Amino acid sequence: MSVLEVSNLIKRFGDVLAVDDLSFAVAPGEIFGFLGGNGAGKTTTLRMVLDIIRPTSGTISVLGAAPDRRQSAAIGFLPEERGLYSGMSAIDTIVYFGRLKGMDTASAKARGMELLARFDLAERAKSDIGDMSKGMAQKVQLATSLVNEPELLMLDEPFSGLDPVNQGLLENEILRASERGAAVIFSTHVMQHAERMCDRLLLLRKGRKRFEGTLEEARAQLPAHLAVVAKSDISGLPGVHSAIAMGEPEDGWQEWQVELDAGAQPESLLEHCSTSGVALRGWDEHRASLHDIFVELVGGEGVEQ
Amino acid sequence: MMDNILLVAKREFRQILALKSFWLTLLILPVALALGPIFTSTLDDDEPTRVVMVDRSGGEAAAAIEARFAEDDDRATLRRLSRHVQRYELEDAAPQAPWTQHDRWYTAEDIAAFREAGGVEGAIELLGAVRPEGVPEFEAENADYEFLPAPIELEGLDGQEFADTAQVLFDAEGDEAPEMVVVVSENYPADPRIELYSANQPNSGFVTTLQEVLTGDLRTRLLAARGVSGADAAAIQSAVPAISVTTPPPGDGAREALLVRSIVPLALSYILMMSLMLSGSWMLQGSVEERSNKLLESLLACIRPEELMYGKLLGSLAVGLLMIAVWAACAAVAAFATQGTIADMIRPALEPVSSPGVIIAILYFFIAGYVGISAIFVAIGAMVDSMSEAQGYLMPVLLGILLPITFLLQAILAGKEGVMVDLLTWVPLWTPFAVLARLGMGIETWVLVGSGVLLAIAIAVEMVFIGRLFRASLLSKGQKPTLKRVLERFRAQPQ
Repeated sequence: MSVLEVSNLIKRFGDVLAVDDLSFAVAPGEIFGFLGGNGAGKTTTLRMVLDIIRPTSGTISVLGAAPDRRQSAAIGFLPEERGLYSGMSAIDTIVYFGRLKGMDTASAKARGMELLARFDLAERAKSDIGDMSKGMAQKVQLATSLVNEPELLMLDEPFSGLDPVNQGLLENEILRASERGAAVIFSTHVMQHAERMCDRLLLLRKGRKRFEGTLEEARAQLPAHLAVVAKSDISGLPGVHSAIAMGEPEDGWQEWQVELDAGAQPESLLEHCSTSGVALRGWDEHRASLHDIFVELVGGEGVEQ
Repeated sequence: MMDNILLVAKREFRQILALKSFWLTLLILPVALALGPIFTSTLDDDEPTRVVMVDRSGGEAAAAIEARFAEDDDRATLRRLSRHVQRYELEDAAPQAPWTQHDRWYTAEDIAAFREAGGVEGAIELLGAVRPEGVPEFEAENADYEFLPAPIELEGLDGQEFADTAQVLFDAEGDEAPEMVVVVSENYPADPRIELYSANQPNSGFVTTLQEVLTGDLRTRLLAARGVSGADAAAIQSAVPAISVTTPPPGDGAREALLVRSIVPLALSYILMMSLMLSGSWMLQGSVEERSNKLLESLLACIRPEELMYGKLLGSLAVGLLMIAVWAACAAVAAFATQGTIADMIRPALEPVSSPGVIIAILYFFIAGYVGISAIFVAIGAMVDSMSEAQGYLMPVLLGILLPITFLLQAILAGKEGVMVDLLTWVPLWTPFAVLARLGMGIETWVLVGSGVLLAIAIAVEMVFIGRLFRASLLSKGQKPTLKRVLERFRAQPQ
């Protein structure tokens, strides 16, 4: 059973269509990337899942039920805009959010201290947030979203503003939650994190889904590019969309820049060459990055490598 | 739901208690009340005004003036003694003494009898014999004027020279320096001019009495010069009607009784106003922190906006009740420490607010007032992004609440129950203050119940609209809360 199921979700703010007929599902243990530029509808969708705002139409099912604060015990959420009570200590802050999620004080405190120790902040447990560095406060906020060991962990632009060390720490926590069986959704416009971590991706543009699937499936959306060195002209081979000769041949060997037809696999072309006796001396496959896919499908606005 | 409300309330409460300004404010009132009487007593000028009489006509006129002022002082002392005796029912101390006879104007004969019996010292001694434990001792006050012998420096001087020397005497420091010099001319009464030199603006009472005494003296002398015998002339001058004066006993009767009965209700109304303004601004500060620190989304992922709002209101109410409990405890300690005086004053003051029904009414209107007005602070806190922005909206709201209450308290202090008092009682924004303040004057049961029901309805409606405004405003940042937008949010359903 999916931890989260979204079906035909629509959200309008007056005349503005923020989310347009969006459907997806996230399974337990899955890391799900929610990608899109600014204003794509990522935060709005997450807010609807949290019941902070209500959809115009469509349905959302969280752990088999409609969104409700009573499910907060099973949900962890790290908002894009982060902040804590400056006058509260780190451990009191974590316990407060743990209590709001239905935990008892002792369990919330024990779990909070465990997280702070893991984040190398055990000695600052009683320090006020206002006395901590920004990085430390961000780790405390991450702890508030993990304190209840959520079954659904939602992170809105979690890597923004983090230094590389804290980015690594966050990646570890995401993997740890996934290994525990939690469904993890994170929205981002930093492609390298999504590329490295996500089991599946969803690309949004102006509230509408442009793609959903694995990274490999995403790559398949773009034509493959090859650099091939061959004895003969390969432009007429099956699956080749175009082949441009680069420079003059050397000892009969010509370098070609090849673009395959959309959906055509480089492996099929290689197989055809070897079975039909096309002599090859060089074969270099340029795999499309998620950035390329994103730019192609969503447009380049607000995207980082 | 209740758990989350209590959690938010507890956090709000702890946050406000962690503020230095909370503790400062909490302690300022008792400290100010304790220091007030000390400060006032230092301001009270109970030292007599020092007067020098230079009677160049032989001394009779100066003697008459001094005798008149002494008589006035003794008459005032008799009046105070009589009030003291009446308040503590000490008539048994000396049933025949003039100061145990209350409803009369004290005549020269009464004053003579008083002096003969040992004056104020004699009276205090007699009172001491019958004074029960806890009743304070009568405290005699200084005379208004002290007559000093004429300084030698003024002898033989006239005109400007006299004035200059008098000024030098005025400027001299110390308890012996005169503050006024009265000169009776050598040819008085043929030359009736009296010169008065004063270091400061002379007291009009002094000048009036001076004029009265000298006028009487002049007329007596003129009557004698026209053949009326000295004794007859004096009798004519001293003929005064026998005035019987009836006043309510201390702590009783119309205005005084009203004031005593209204002390606690007015204080309740004032304390409600003060603690509301204070805890409201602290709560507002907390709300602005939540917005500016971008905390709201994290909170709203765990709790409903309504839970957050009710938690804030409850936290603010708890802070207000704590402040009042501390102030009441300070008052109780003060009453205990000063047993006689304050306890004696508090007893009649507590009378109108000591029945169970009135206590329930006080609690109801206090809590309802707190919730109703605090909700306005919550709404402002939900709409603004900074404290400076909040101040801009707070000022007109505070003026709108406080100004009518100030007029209301003044009207009740003056014992007036006009249309304005009635109107404020029925407008829910001011109902709690008006009802609390009116408890001392007496308020009809139907008005109490009716205004209470109306207040409850108004708060229920307010909660619905402010709840909508709160919910709609929480995540909308950077939008100026214009009137149009506020009205839209009042109508907004959950998005």
